[in-house]
Amino acid sequence: MNLTIFPWMIAVPLGASPLVYLAGRLFRPSWVRGLALFALLLSWIPFVLIFTGQGMQLSFNVETIGLQADGISLLLAAVTLALGTVVVLFSGPYMAGEVGEEKYYAMLLAMIGFMIGLGCAKDLFNFWMWFEAMAVSSYLLVAFYREVPASLEAGVKYLVQSAVGSVFVLLGIALVLGNTGSLDMDEIRSATGTLPQSGLALAGAFFVIGFGVKVALVPLHTWLPDAHSQAPSGISAMLSGVVIEAGLIAMLRALSTLGILSVSWGMLFLGFGTLNMLFGNLMALQQTQVKRMLAYSSLSHIGYMLLGIGFALSDGQQAGAQGAAFHLFNHMLMKGLAFLAAGAFMFALFHQNQVQRSLEVKDLAGAARKYPLAALTFSIALLALGGLPPLAGFMSKWQIFVAGFQSGNGWLMGLVIFAALNSVLSLAYYAPVVNMMYRQKMGDAIEQGKSIPLAMNISLVLLALSIVVIGLWPSLMNWLTEPAGQAILSAFGQ
Amino acid sequence: MTLDPLNAVLIGVILLLAVGFYGLLITRNLIKIVLVLQILVKAVVIALVLAGKASGQPGLGQSIAATVIVADTIVAVVALALAVQVRIRFGTLDLSKISSLRG
Repeated sequence: MNLTIFPWMIAVPLGASPLVYLAGRLFRPSWVRGLALFALLLSWIPFVLIFTGQGMQLSFNVETIGLQADGISLLLAAVTLALGTVVVLFSGPYMAGEVGEEKYYAMLLAMIGFMIGLGCAKDLFNFWMWFEAMAVSSYLLVAFYREVPASLEAGVKYLVQSAVGSVFVLLGIALVLGNTGSLDMDEIRSATGTLPQSGLALAGAFFVIGFGVKVALVPLHTWLPDAHSQAPSGISAMLSGVVIEAGLIAMLRALSTLGILSVSWGMLFLGFGTLNMLFGNLMALQQTQVKRMLAYSSLSHIGYMLLGIGFALSDGQQAGAQGAAFHLFNHMLMKGLAFLAAGAFMFALFHQNQVQRSLEVKDLAGAARKYPLAALTFSIALLALGGLPPLAGFMSKWQIFVAGFQSGNGWLMGLVIFAALNSVLSLAYYAPVVNMMYRQKMGDAIEQGKSIPLAMNISLVLLALSIVVIGLWPSLMNWLTEPAGQAILSAFGQ
Repeated sequence: MTLDPLNAVLIGVILLLAVGFYGLLITRNLIKIVLVLQILVKAVVIALVLAGKASGQPGLGQSIAATVIVADTIVAVVALALAVQVRIRFGTLDLSKISSLRG
C-alpha cells in the first residue's frame, strides 16, 4: 500500500474554514462550534494513521510544488492539532454570542491548517507563503475585539512588526535564489557547499531577523506582550503555545538550508537563548496583569528551546535537539493551560458580569475556595512552567540541561547553571499567583464571580492531566521528540 | 564607466529599501506606514525578479514576484481595515497618540 494521507491534515482544517463561516452565516451561529470541533477531530485521523499505518508515503508533489512530512513537521502538526482541539472546545462557551463568532472559528481553523502546512513545505518560497498566510490569520484574531482600543492597538503593532519581518525573510529568499538559482531546500543544501559564504551569511542574518520577529527574539519581541495579552484567551493560548513555536521551526528550517555554517548558528542560538531567558524573566517579575506576565514568560521559555538547539548545533548533542522538541511540546501544554485557565477566570469574573477589563494577579485572591478545579489546574500549569518536578516542564528542561553537561565544555556548563538559576528566578513570579489563589481571603472579584462552564473545565482538566502524566513518564513522548531531534540535526548536516 | 543593467537594478533596490526603512523610522501616521510597507515590499519584488535573472532562472523569479504582490495586497487590505477601525475608535491615525500598552 502506498497511500499519501498526510496532506489531509492540512486540507481538512483549510477546507472546513470557509464552510464553518458559511454555516455560521446561513444557519444558526451555534452550529459553528460543533462543526469546527468536528473538523479538527477529523484532521486527527491522517495524523494517527501516519504512525499506525504501514508504508505511508511521506512526500507529495503537485508539479514542482512539494510537501513532505519529517520529524519536525509531525512535531508541529501534533502540537497544533492538540492545542487547537482543546482551544476550540474551550472557546465554545467563551466566545458564545460574540459578534462575529463564525469568523473566529473560520480564522482559527485556517491558522491551524496553515501552520501544519508550514511544517511540511519543502521549498523556500512556498514556505514563506504558508508563513505569511498564518500571520494574516493571526493578525485578524489578535484584533478580534475591534471595539476595544487596546486590542486594536496590539493588532496594529503586531501587523506592522510582522510585515517588516516578512520583508526581511523575502530579502533572504531573494539572496538565496540569486546565489543558488534554486528554491528547493535540498537542492540549496547541496549547492551551498561550493559558494562564497558572504552572500549566504547575509541571507542567514535576514532569516534570523525576519523569523526572529515571530519567535520574539529579544529585542524583536515588543509586539508579543501586547498581542498575547489583548487577544481572546483561546487565541492567546494558540499564539503563545503554537504560533511562536511555529516561527522557531520556520527559522530552523530556513537556516538549515544554509547548513554549512551550522557551528556559528549554534553560538547565535545560545546567545539569543540566554538573552531571552533573562529578559523574559526580569520583565515578567514586574507585571501585575496575569496574561501579560504569562506573555513575558513565553519569552524565557523560547530561550530554553533556543538553548537546547544551541547545544545540539554547537556540540552535536542530539539530546539537546530532542530536549528542545520536548520542551516545545510541553510548553504548548503548560502555556496553553495557563492562558486557558486565566481565560476561564476572566470569563467567570468579568465577561459574565459584563465587565470589560484585564485580569490582575490580586483579582485571584482566594480563588481556590470558589473555583477549586480551575485554581488547581492553573497552579499545575504555573508550577510546571516554573520547572518543579515531577511535572512535565521539569523533565524537558532537565533533558536540555543534561545535553549541556554531556558536552563537557566549560562555557556550555556555565550556561546550564545560568539557565537553572533562571528557572528558580521564574518561580518568583509563578509562586505568588499560586499563593494568592490558595492562601488569601476571598476578594470582591471572586465573590461576585459566576460559575465556570463544563466545556471549559473539561479542556482545563485534559491539559492538566497530560502535564502530570508526561511529567511522571517522560519517555511516553519519545515517539514524537526523537524523530524531531534527529530531523533538526540532520537538516543542519550533523 | 558603464553601469551593468543588473547592477543598476540592484542599486535601485537598495535605494528603495533605504527610503522604506527611513520612512518606517519617521512616520507615525498609520496610512503612511502602510504606504511605507508597500515601498519595502516593492523593493523586495524587484529584488526577486533580479535574483531570478541573475541566477539564470528568470521565469521562477517573475512568478514568485507576482505571487508576492498578491500575498502582500492581502496584508495591505488587513492593515487598512485596522486603520479604519483605529480612526473610528480613537479619532486619530497617529500611532504615538494611541499607545496605551506599556512595559
